[in-house]
Amino acid sequence: MPQDYDKDAYPEPPRQTPVVDKQTVLPNPALILSNLFYYSVDLPVTTFRNAIDSIRSKNKYYYYHQQFRRVPELIDCQEGDYVCYYEAEMQWRRDHKVDQEIVKIVQERARACQQREGPSYKQNCAKEFQQFKEASRAYQLRYGDLGAYASARKCLMKQKERMMAQAQNA
Amino acid sequence: MVAMSALRAAAAFTARLNPLNRANQAAHLLSRAVVRSEQVAVRYGSHGKRMFIIKPTDFYDRRFLHLLKYYVLLTGIPVAALVTFVNVFIGEAELAEVPEGYEPEYWEYYKHPITRWIARNIYDSPVKDYEKMMALVQIEAEKSQMRQKQLEVRKHMREKGDGPWFHVETLDKSLIDQGHKATPDD
Repeated sequence: MPQDYDKDAYPEPPRQTPVVDKQTVLPNPALILSNLFYYSVDLPVTTFRNAIDSIRSKNKYYYYHQQFRRVPELIDCQEGDYVCYYEAEMQWRRDHKVDQEIVKIVQERARACQQREGPSYKQNCAKEFQQFKEASRAYQLRYGDLGAYASARKCLMKQKERMMAQAQNA
Repeated sequence: MVAMSALRAAAAFTARLNPLNRANQAAHLLSRAVVRSEQVAVRYGSHGKRMFIIKPTDFYDRRFLHLLKYYVLLTGIPVAALVTFVNVFIGEAELAEVPEGYEPEYWEYYKHPITRWIARNIYDSPVKDYEKMMALVQIEAEKSQMRQKQLEVRKHMREKGDGPWFHVETLDKSLIDQGHKATPDD
């Protein structure tokens, strides 16, 4: 089965199955439809999946997430050392991708929370929304308007401008 | 003539007897013949005959579509079958933590078996690609440094006038005429 998600980040709401209290002789159409769905769709799909999984379970194999070593950043490179520039650029690109995914995950959590809570999301989801706000603000500050041809140099220049503006304001 | 009228009378009489019989019906008999209920008056434009319909040719269109289907399916079906069998019998990899002390091969970072196969057999490892690019960068950097140095050396030599590139050859001393009155100032 596909990987289970993080149960803490996406808590399940408490189950609200009502006690069956049948007061009529008439059949319950919801029950009929759910049984119909079960026998016509759920059962064939599950048996197919189990059949394929039983074939698959004989030779399992795995894949891993790659860990990259940290290399000196663009700031720590000598001027004119183009190999160092290249490695710093590649590391910056990997970090950029990772940061994009981080923001996406935080956004996904906020959305899931809003969907779960329904009309009262503004009070109950304050933490998730705060997290998303901080993450997106940080992303905007660092990688914000760099454009499609963003590079480590441009990001560094943006940071320099920010620091200069801050020093001027202070 | 009399025989004809007698025959006609006989035909009318038999039609009266059995009006449903097809043979007894004749258009020119003023008999009150019954029309068979199954024989509804349908009007074909071609009077019931099978006709040769004249329309613009669809030969080229149908030939094109036939050839299109043929050439698409010629490799499409084997590829689809291959991908189906790979997905059913080999299946995708599962995510796992890197075991202690084990360095995964570079193709073991991908999920789908066909991607893994391509990464293993066709592409170079990403480490090798990285090193190749770094080698290129290094070569270009050295080239640019060489060119800068050459320009600077040229500048110095031209300025001083005595480097091997801007060396003006002095004349052979034996060619100079040192004798009296060889130059106007002597």
